[in-house]
Amino acid sequence: MRVFLVKGNSLHLLFLLFAFTSLTQADAPQQSPPDQAGPAALKNLTLEELSQIEVTTPSKEPVKAIDTPAAVYVLTGDDIRRFGATSIPEALRLVPGVEVARIDASHWSIGIRGFGTNLTRSVLVLIDGRTVYTPLFAGTNWDTQNTNMDDIDRIEVIRGPGGTIWGPNAVNGVINIITKDSKETHGILVSAGGGNEEQGFLNFRYGGGNGKDFDFRVYGMGFTRSPEDHADGRNFDDWREGQAGFRMDWKETRDTFTLQGDLYDEIAGESVGATSYTPPYSQTLYANSYLSGENILGRWKRTVNQANDFQLQIYFDRTNREEANYAEIRDTFDIDFLQKLQLPARQNVSWGLGGRVDPVDDPVVVSGLQFVPNKRTDYLGTAFVQDEIGLVARHLSLTLGTKFLKTNFTSGVDLEPSARLLWTLSEKQTIWTAFTHALRTPSDSEEDFYLLGYITTLPNGMPYFARFNPNPNFAPEQLNGYELGYRRVLGRNFYVDLTGFYNHYHNLFSEDLTGEPYVETDPEPVHLLLPAEFRNGLLGYTKGIEIAPEWRPKDFWRLRGSYSYLHMNIGRAPDSGDVGTAPSIVGSSPHHEVTVQSAFDLSKKLQLDLTYRYVSQLPAQLVPAYSTGDARIGWRFNRQYELSLVGRNLFQPSHYEDGGDPGPLVGIKRSVYARLTWSR
Amino acid sequence: MEQVTRNHFRLPRSSAILLALIAGGAGLIPTFLQAEEPLEYEVKAAFLLNFTKFIEWPAEAFASPGSPVSICILGEDSFGSTLDQIVSGEAINGRKVTAQRIKRAPPPRTCQILFVSKSEREAARILPELGPGVLTVGERDTFIREGGMIAFVIENRRVRFDINQIVAEKAGLKLSSKLLSVARSVEK
Repeated sequence: MRVFLVKGNSLHLLFLLFAFTSLTQADAPQQSPPDQAGPAALKNLTLEELSQIEVTTPSKEPVKAIDTPAAVYVLTGDDIRRFGATSIPEALRLVPGVEVARIDASHWSIGIRGFGTNLTRSVLVLIDGRTVYTPLFAGTNWDTQNTNMDDIDRIEVIRGPGGTIWGPNAVNGVINIITKDSKETHGILVSAGGGNEEQGFLNFRYGGGNGKDFDFRVYGMGFTRSPEDHADGRNFDDWREGQAGFRMDWKETRDTFTLQGDLYDEIAGESVGATSYTPPYSQTLYANSYLSGENILGRWKRTVNQANDFQLQIYFDRTNREEANYAEIRDTFDIDFLQKLQLPARQNVSWGLGGRVDPVDDPVVVSGLQFVPNKRTDYLGTAFVQDEIGLVARHLSLTLGTKFLKTNFTSGVDLEPSARLLWTLSEKQTIWTAFTHALRTPSDSEEDFYLLGYITTLPNGMPYFARFNPNPNFAPEQLNGYELGYRRVLGRNFYVDLTGFYNHYHNLFSEDLTGEPYVETDPEPVHLLLPAEFRNGLLGYTKGIEIAPEWRPKDFWRLRGSYSYLHMNIGRAPDSGDVGTAPSIVGSSPHHEVTVQSAFDLSKKLQLDLTYRYVSQLPAQLVPAYSTGDARIGWRFNRQYELSLVGRNLFQPSHYEDGGDPGPLVGIKRSVYARLTWSR
Repeated sequence: MEQVTRNHFRLPRSSAILLALIAGGAGLIPTFLQAEEPLEYEVKAAFLLNFTKFIEWPAEAFASPGSPVSICILGEDSFGSTLDQIVSGEAINGRKVTAQRIKRAPPPRTCQILFVSKSEREAARILPELGPGVLTVGERDTFIREGGMIAFVIENRRVRFDINQIVAEKAGLKLSSKLLSVARSVEK
């Protein structure tokens, strides 16, 4: 990658570099004697000398939500376990501002602050620092993000453009899934169970360590899930998966190393549309998709001193998708560097650099869906720099930063600046506000993609199609986001988090007709073609509020709620040729979402968790408003065994959530499963 | 297509690289030129070794005349290999100094120093269970109040410690005046 080629003036540049660094060098903190590191040297010091040495305390507590100038919500591993979530999309239902609508057994429509689709675009999703968003359509395939749920330490969701977490696609939010350090997963853990929807599952994990500086774990998991509820009897969406992986963590005095990897193989049934130039022109295919992949990631963190630490991460990820209407093998090579520095005048500077290369092969499966050329390499380079400035110590901090983004889809480098202010009125009350400019880079599906749609067959027998042709000039979608938040701790056991936002968008994805129909002779047979393109013809705004209170009336009883309100106003830009997609976008996100959760510790061994959920209607999906409930009883009958019973979607035998599949709406069934866990 | 280019935050390629290099260069060069500071747990490990030199244990504190002076870490181990490196090859009065990690209160005479990690929130439960002859060292600010003998505290980025001499002497331990003079505070 030729990012560092600088034309001419290189002497000038070097001078600037050294001038800048000599300034910071002069301000570096004074070292107190003796200035050698290493335990061996410390042994020989007297008691007085040991008492005088200045030290680094690398044991930094993770930043608490109350001190973060962003709309962050953390789902802990315990929250996920007590909800009984068996997949990450199901766990995300609990997060305010996130809309999760299940399409069928293996597909979900997810969005943050609107724009939910089965592609989950404009949201950056990461697992342990590995981005799982695909540049194919700038979104995420949730059917291949299965994880051993017991290994998840927490899921951090940031609504709105990401802060220090940087990377492509962080426009409407960031979902960061973090697994436990191997130090925390010693011993054996086996869990198995089944039910009507989760027909059978088995998870196994073994972890250990040498008791000092090395820990590891290995795991295996598998599940088989039943189809959801189909009025037409086509039970196509059964799903089975097998997966295994490992993780190793080494800790030296100031370095930590992590190596982890997974491999998976699955068969997920789906229904997809397929079009072709030859009869029958357009069909719905009900078929299995064969999905497999492997990944390996290495990470090195080093604490240099109190004011300086950095991290280097490299990973490789391969995904292999064979679906009825398209196929892809995508390899990702990624390297990222991140450094945090404390500078004088209460400044915390972070900066980072990253690069990613994706060679991809999309062989043609149906002639109506083609990526051209089918062998390509996507790449991206990112950088960011951020300064958190303590304007008034412990009371007012201003964070200024920007990301830089360069991909193979755009010329030049794009900037995503952001400014955030955090006002800490007291230990119990904070107000924050933020402005961010973010963008969603173009993807293969806008720039290299031919998508055929069948309209009708003319009286003379000639087929009439519309086709979206690649748009190499598709520009990034733009967002200017304004947010305001307030957090308050009241008394000893009540906490509330409020956020309001106003997002102004332009250059949004639109489906535009580009000309009059004409007769095309290639590919055969001769057909009438209406040309179209994906363009940047929509704009508008979204606004809303999210309220998340938490109350612990008793030691053994915790109540949590969330309410999200969303108003979307999206329409065509003045001279756009968009065919009218805006009402469908607006009508596919709910205005209101409510969740209420009650977590009850009935005794030291018995836990009861109840959840109530309401989602208002999705008119464009023909889905009415629904409310439903979930319950989990967990009984730990001794140190080794726990039995739990989980009921999901209990209010109705089935209900609709989204119309993402061709054909009739798929009902999401009422389901129950039991799980037995053995640990030692 | 005019509206497409409205509000486009873009830089021509060369100036963006320049900015990135400057921001990056500033971070990289100081990294390699600044001396490394010792870590908190390296200094605490050095202190633990020093405690073995400046404290006298009664004979009954040991299982046998040849048994080592054992430093036991209870709870989460933040030392890593540092403590082992520091005690390696050390001996006091003919006894080797060793380090071990334990998960619950030790049986009598197995540990001469018990370091209670800050991950252990209920030191108060463990301390009464110990027999005499064990020096208890902790990190939480409640440690002395809960009955501990020496508590590490970080003050002005330096590792200091508070001593409760009364509890230590009740356990049969003799603390040298050298040790007491370096402590931040001593309860007599």
